[in-house]
Amino acid sequence: MKIDTLRRHFREAYRGIVKNSWMSFAAVGAVAVTLMIFGVFVIFAVNLGSITDEVGDNVSMNVVLKEEVTKEQATALTTKIKGLPNVNEARFISKDEGVDEVKKNLKDADFTRVLQKGENNFLPNLIKVTPKNVSVSKQVEDAVKGLEGVEGVKNSSTAKELLDSVLLFKNIILVFGVALAVLAAFLISNTIKLTIIARRREIEVQRLVGASNWFIRWPFFIEGGFIGFVGSVLPIGVLLLVYQGFVKMISGGSKNANLLQMVGFGDMAMYLTGSILGIGIFIGVFGSVLSIRRFLKI
Amino acid sequence: MIEMHDVWKVYPNGIEALRGVNITIDTGEFVYVVGPSGAGKSSFIKLMYREEKPTSGVVLINGVNVKRVRDWKIPHLRRKIGVVFQDYKLLPHMSAYDNVAFALEAVEVPTKQIQPRVEEALELVGLSDRMKALPSQLSGGEQQRVSIARAIVNNPGFIIADEPTGNLDPENSWDIMYLLEEINMRGTTVVMATHNKEIVNTMRQRVIAIEQGIVVRDEIGGEYGYED
Repeated sequence: MKIDTLRRHFREAYRGIVKNSWMSFAAVGAVAVTLMIFGVFVIFAVNLGSITDEVGDNVSMNVVLKEEVTKEQATALTTKIKGLPNVNEARFISKDEGVDEVKKNLKDADFTRVLQKGENNFLPNLIKVTPKNVSVSKQVEDAVKGLEGVEGVKNSSTAKELLDSVLLFKNIILVFGVALAVLAAFLISNTIKLTIIARRREIEVQRLVGASNWFIRWPFFIEGGFIGFVGSVLPIGVLLLVYQGFVKMISGGSKNANLLQMVGFGDMAMYLTGSILGIGIFIGVFGSVLSIRRFLKI
Repeated sequence: MIEMHDVWKVYPNGIEALRGVNITIDTGEFVYVVGPSGAGKSSFIKLMYREEKPTSGVVLINGVNVKRVRDWKIPHLRRKIGVVFQDYKLLPHMSAYDNVAFALEAVEVPTKQIQPRVEEALELVGLSDRMKALPSQLSGGEQQRVSIARAIVNNPGFIIADEPTGNLDPENSWDIMYLLEEINMRGTTVVMATHNKEIVNTMRQRVIAIEQGIVVRDEIGGEYGYED
């Protein structure tokens, strides 16, 4: 395409936007809202990777052994569990080791005084089992439950539930975002339709004098893409500002500093800018295509 | 050269606009297409610039079968044909100059060439001093001349005119006819559908008369032949 022609297409696209300024404004707003939600989704999805890794470490389960199981039997059982499919690690923790572990985890809080080693130790012998990943923890639990000498299985944390709810939340945002993206595309499509109607005489003359089909279509693609682009800039800015603040807050010397390791600002800026800009322009061009196909009879 | 061989045009509502038309128009000819309203003149004209496709039969423009031309090649076909309408089809927000330049921009003529070519075309139609005027500031005759300038600015081999004097008073109509005649003298084929009896009978060119979709008369130096 010649540079003069390209310049002309941009000029025409700009003219279309200005001519239907209110409709263009509404379309930009719809794209911005959609992409804001999409951005939240991206933040979740990107961070979920690291959250899942962390949570994954905490999905280990405690296999409580029956009182009559001897140490030798427990060791044999540990080896057997290690050999099960989907098991990453299995470690025997005797009653007395259990006391040490509880006291260590709870930082020797007052009530841990009731825990005593020896005869009066009421903690059970247990085997700590870590599945290969979160998704197979249920299978591992079922397999272990059936073994001889096992009293029951207790999850050491509610990590799985947490993870499930995070995933559910992610899916809700995704569905919501897709629905909004469709809505935004239709709004853009409507804006382009108005431009096509406003320019029908020009288009008619262009056809008659032999303008190529692409020459006629290009300004509408650019107009849609531009609406998508402008609609992307606002959410990128807002989301990056919020994320930066959030990262600072999370890692700002709090005790929970290591609870959630969030993706760094630089990486997130790259993911967010790339994906939102890409999706924004895609929605814009897609909206144009809808109208061009339906209303632009060449 | 324009050729039609056994051309039928049947619209989806069943109306047979053209029924077995056979015609040959040689390069450089001036042809009037006459006939009562609804006789099929417009369909005949539209087939020539590929606004319509024939239902059956063959339409050849310089040997190219318009029915077989792929959609993306149609614009190239249309560049060889200038079309003039009764209602001028000028863009109201553009000056006379811009209306003509618009046609060159649409076919991606280099910017440098646009100004001299537009000025030349407007000079040919006698509007050198009205280039900056908007269509609303021009008379009907002047507007039609702008539309003719737009049709010829690409140097097409054919001018297809559908009732170009239909909205004009007799004086302006004659101006337009002299202009079309001059364009024809320069070698451009002119095909013009008209209801103007006086013009046809005075200028005495080839006349093709269509009635109920059939060519009923085709004579060199013919007359209008109707009383409307």
